[in-house]
Amino acid sequence: MSATPASIRDRQNLTPWLLLLPLAAYLLIFFFVPLAQVGIMSVTEPNPGLGNYEKLVTSPLYRKVFINTFMTALLVTVCCLLVGYPLAYLMAHTTKRRAMLILMLITMSFWTSFLVRTYSWMVLLGRNGPVSWLFLQMGWDEPPQMLFTRFASTLAMVHILAPYMIMNIYSVMQKIDPSLIRSAESMGARGPSLFRHVYLPLTAPGIANGSILVFVICLGFYVTPVLLGSPREQMAAGLIGRQIEEFLAFGPGSAMAIALLVFTLIILAIYHRRFGLDKLYG
Amino acid sequence: MKTPISTTSLMMPRRSFLMGSAAVAGTTLAAPSIGRAQTQELYINSWGGAWLEAATENLFDPFTKDTGIAIKTVSPVSFAKLAAQVRSGVYEFDVTTLGGGDIIRANQAGLLEDLAPTYEGGVYENGMGSHAFATVLAWRTDAYPDAGPQSWADFWDVERFPGNRSLQRYPARIIPLALLADGVAVEDLYPLDFERAFAKLDQIKDHITVWWTADAQSEQLLRDGEVDMIGIWHGSYFRAEDSGAPVAMTWNQAEIERSYWVVAKDTPNMEAAKLFVDFATSAAPLAGFVEQANYGALNPAATALVPDTAQSRMPTSTANYPLAFEQDMANWGADPEEVSMRFEEWLSY
Repeated sequence: MSATPASIRDRQNLTPWLLLLPLAAYLLIFFFVPLAQVGIMSVTEPNPGLGNYEKLVTSPLYRKVFINTFMTALLVTVCCLLVGYPLAYLMAHTTKRRAMLILMLITMSFWTSFLVRTYSWMVLLGRNGPVSWLFLQMGWDEPPQMLFTRFASTLAMVHILAPYMIMNIYSVMQKIDPSLIRSAESMGARGPSLFRHVYLPLTAPGIANGSILVFVICLGFYVTPVLLGSPREQMAAGLIGRQIEEFLAFGPGSAMAIALLVFTLIILAIYHRRFGLDKLYG
Repeated sequence: MKTPISTTSLMMPRRSFLMGSAAVAGTTLAAPSIGRAQTQELYINSWGGAWLEAATENLFDPFTKDTGIAIKTVSPVSFAKLAAQVRSGVYEFDVTTLGGGDIIRANQAGLLEDLAPTYEGGVYENGMGSHAFATVLAWRTDAYPDAGPQSWADFWDVERFPGNRSLQRYPARIIPLALLADGVAVEDLYPLDFERAFAKLDQIKDHITVWWTADAQSEQLLRDGEVDMIGIWHGSYFRAEDSGAPVAMTWNQAEIERSYWVVAKDTPNMEAAKLFVDFATSAAPLAGFVEQANYGALNPAATALVPDTAQSRMPTSTANYPLAFEQDMANWGADPEEVSMRFEEWLSY
């Protein structure tokens, strides 16, 4: 009878979905339902309509904070790339022992609570901290103000996010076939030209993956810019927090959150069309 | 910096769940009975730190001993949560404290239960007057060894007193100080002249290194010398002083505000909550609380019990009160929320 093989096939097709069910239920209850509530609040509080979204566009504060959020995320991504690429290169081209040591140091920092890392920067960059002391020793009368500036918050965010960049680039660099480099060399490619035409394009997927991860995570940063930065460089998540906590402005806060989510999804969609999101997990 | 997180706040989801079902079940669960009072629990919104220590010792523990009602604390203090839980019917705390500005806002929004006064004149906008605290001017004596700034005009005087400054990121408190710095007399402060205040704030903006948002943070900024002068709550100042930091303060132009106990509207624990508010504002417990935390008691019967030696650190003492002024939220002159938005916008440039 042909029914048996068919039903087995059906069951086999069903199995992955059944396995997904607990996760799907979890996401539905604890993610999509609250998210929908946020979406509803954004168009019902305090008055029904699109007033909150209108304010996002017209209010100079919201506009400034949104632009600043994206500029900060971009800056942090570029800094992570500048710091991460050479380090990943070093890891990919040194002895296995040294690579493991660097990897260990990076993961150690990575697994430390980011609150702890943020507070550590407060101690390091404080007015009476070691960095200020170093400036004094070098002959500065008054060490520059580092804490509560864009410098401090950017530095800390780069520190927190750089591992994402390094891991992504490193995993790609590791897989590069050395014979490709050798054959390029045999064709006469040297130094900068070899890097630009052969090595860099081969590592591009790692750069793209690392950058998108750093950028998207950075968009939602809350504690670090609040504690280390100044209100002038406020980011969207900080303002959403203040909207809710301080002003009870659930509507405008929700609208900001939804706008941030939509922008993030747009960026991911562009990335997906260009590179394919599946690469992120590869 | 210390971030107080009580164990109860970690257990919030379970609590929310239970309270949610209690809210659905209606008022029958809240009906008091002597037998059940033994197992009753009351959830109180806590400021953590020194406040919590003084409250536990003088208010919470004695209350539990008297009534058998156990007290659990929930951190942090959140006005937003008070509003959210009345809206959703899911209660994380039954009792909280509010300042003069928030209490008008909360009562207008219908977030507060009606209260009957524990002492004469004790109830204001459905809050039971507990204690007074002040925002005072404090400075580092290593930065200003001779004579520190003595007024908010001095705070603004960056020529005579160069250095890093800090103020609270809370315009309701900052705006009166800016006007005083600009030469407005205390009796002419209210209603506030916001245009003039923001113009005055423009002058100091570049010298405010950090706008503090949590009282432990303000204490740390002063104690570690991160700033040279600061507008700080007097309780936080005295903690910095007691830690041995080289700091000084003045009661001159200190800005006094009152703190009130309130009961969240329609909380299923209403009876216990009201019982607690009565207890916390009665003479003996309140006297112990304010003496330990350096607050000024609002119940005169409590003040009478506070020894003279403890008075010098209280904003309401006979020596300090004449130097200070009281925030007058009722005659403030604008919607605090609009001013807050304007302030946030001003800060972002």
